[in-house]
Amino acid sequence: MATTERANLIDDRRRLALSHLTRNVVIFVSAIVLMLYVLAPVTWLVSSSFQTEAEIVSVPPHWIPENPTLMNFEAIFGATAEEEVTYETRSGQDPASGGYIPSTAGNLLPAMGNSLIVATLVVILNLLVGVPAAYALAKIRFLGRDASVYFILVTRVIPDIALVVPFFLVIRKLGLLDSLGSLVLTYLAVTVPFTVFILVQFFEGLPDELDKAARVDGCSRFQSLVRVFLPLSLPSLVAVILFTFLTSWNEFLLALMFTQTEASQTLPIVLAAFTSDFTISFSFINAAGVLAIVPPVVVAVIFERYIVSGLTAGAVKG
Amino acid sequence: MARIRFEHVEKKYSNGFHAVKDLNLDIQDKEFIVLLGPSGCGKSTTLNMIAGLEDISDGALRFDDEIVNFAPPHRRDVAMVFQSYALYPHKSVFDNIGFGLKMRKVPRDEIERRVREAAGKLEIDHLLDRRPSQLSGGQRQRVALGRAMVREPAAFLMDEPLSNLDAALRISMRAEIKELHRAMQTTFVYVTHDQAEALTLADRIVVMNDGVVQQIGTPDDIYERPKNTFVASFLGNPPINYIDGQIESTDGSTARFRRGDLAFDLPASIAAKLGSSHGREVRLGIRAEDVDETAAGAAGSVIRGKVNSILPVGSDQFLGFDLAGQELFFRVGKDLAHNLGDDVALSVDLNRLHLFDKDSGETLLW
Ligand SMILES: Nc1ncnc2c1ncn2[C@@H]1O[C@H](COP(=O)(O)OP(=O)(O)O)[C@@H](O)[C@H]1O
Ligand SMILES: [Mg+2]
Repeated sequence: MATTERANLIDDRRRLALSHLTRNVVIFVSAIVLMLYVLAPVTWLVSSSFQTEAEIVSVPPHWIPENPTLMNFEAIFGATAEEEVTYETRSGQDPASGGYIPSTAGNLLPAMGNSLIVATLVVILNLLVGVPAAYALAKIRFLGRDASVYFILVTRVIPDIALVVPFFLVIRKLGLLDSLGSLVLTYLAVTVPFTVFILVQFFEGLPDELDKAARVDGCSRFQSLVRVFLPLSLPSLVAVILFTFLTSWNEFLLALMFTQTEASQTLPIVLAAFTSDFTISFSFINAAGVLAIVPPVVVAVIFERYIVSGLTAGAVKG
Repeated sequence: MARIRFEHVEKKYSNGFHAVKDLNLDIQDKEFIVLLGPSGCGKSTTLNMIAGLEDISDGALRFDDEIVNFAPPHRRDVAMVFQSYALYPHKSVFDNIGFGLKMRKVPRDEIERRVREAAGKLEIDHLLDRRPSQLSGGQRQRVALGRAMVREPAAFLMDEPLSNLDAALRISMRAEIKELHRAMQTTFVYVTHDQAEALTLADRIVVMNDGVVQQIGTPDDIYERPKNTFVASFLGNPPINYIDGQIESTDGSTARFRRGDLAFDLPASIAAKLGSSHGREVRLGIRAEDVDETAAGAAGSVIRGKVNSILPVGSDQFLGFDLAGQELFFRVGKDLAHNLGDDVALSVDLNRLHLFDKDSGETLLW
């Protein structure tokens, strides 16, 4: 009898181990699938930007370029806005050398500059406006506080498409059409409520007594914000920076409405225009796409290490 | 170096809640004042008004003779210790303690000197490089004290600073806070809902309820001569017992308390204060410890009843006592052996009785 019990026990253990194994395998496989799903398009984008137009259309596709070429990037950095696009250049032998380069290729780098300027300004202004606003809403009791928070949030429920026309009228009235100012202004209107929302949430989570302690220790409200609240809110600030940067970087609809020339066109507009050129070079477009993801990635890498949790541990009794 | 005066101070919160009503309080320089009362009675609100963390709705708050109603916290020379300690999580212990000095532009070497001195006194000098998250509750508490100490403020405010500590630490910290007051020679305003803390620490206690001051006095005043039933009930463990009844008095010099069969001959000192109040409805108060089990006391002081419950509390025991259907609690010596249901006779110390008007709850004695 003892032996059968023992055997049962071993059996149970084996079953348990097996179920653990299957669970781990399932999780592992799912993770792989998810990773492929996320990474495959990016991988293809990067890989194809180093391929010629001829190689890019080969079947099956070459995930690793057989004849890697930098021609697409040379075309981008060599292109000038004044470059003539003639029948001769378009029918050249090597597609990557400029034969199929879109006529607006020269706009790419200036547009990238525009995008960078707009995104940076939007991030900075967001912080300048959003941080004090959020502190006030979270830690100062004043008449109409709740109404203010509510109103700010409600503005985010309105879809951008509904705002396009009113925005357009305002921007035209201000004489800002086809200028970077129009984009900075409207992107702020779209992102500041989100910034305030995130930061109010965070500041409200910080104990009131921390604010009181700082003020009794000799801080004005502003100093309390800068010296105590901001250092503690780095993770939230990073989230805000990333969100506002990416929102500005990717925004298409408003940019399409308010910009008309290279003076103010941003990257998404110029990139989209490539596809509507009468001949399309996929390898060139993909190279442009690769350039477009570099700044967001750089920003993310710079700020990622500040996204640390547990920064506020120990403020209160704990 | 601060005398703090409240003159008809009112506090109404923005939601209309009237948290402090007509507060008049004159805190002397170097005095240790304890604000005592149940949770929600307005103690913290009062303290925050001294610190400048809450606006004053009406009345005047003076530091010495100057009205400070509108001075922001950083312009008042006060330091504060919070219940949650409120240490800055991103700063080292050293920087936590020195922050107030830094904000007040004290020279660096002076900060260094004062922080080390305070840390030495509090025995946390080995912790100066740590973050608050790496400290125990008791250590955080000391850092919070140190942060206030180094400021050498005109007034030292503490909002339930010990309530997050365990019982043993709480008692030893009481002694340290008392010593701190002696050493610092400044005004202390201390908030607590713990009567024992208040009785140990205070020069004077301010008992509050529902935003209204009930009584201001020395611990002895408050405990021995409570002005009303609220104060009498709030202090004492177990709480004071009440028996409702009437005064029978023949002339101005003798009086008797009666409820049904129960009667006490009140001592002359009490009778004199009652005057001719024959038939007056009163509430008699007997503190739990003011009974004698030997029952050999003066005639007219004995109560008889049944033992309802026995709660040993180490040094003593609490006796639940059924007096003609009313439950009373007394504190008696632990060597007294009773069983549940025993009939016992206790003799009441008549000189220590309390008498209150039955309707208003105000004392009739002082
Ligand atoms: N900001 C506020 N707004 C409205 N009511 C408040 C506010 N702060 C405290 N109160 C109320 O005021 C009363 C007194 O609060 P408080 O002074 O903190 O009490 P205590 O410290 O004696 O426990 C409580 O009933 C509390 O609910
Ligand atoms: Mg309180």
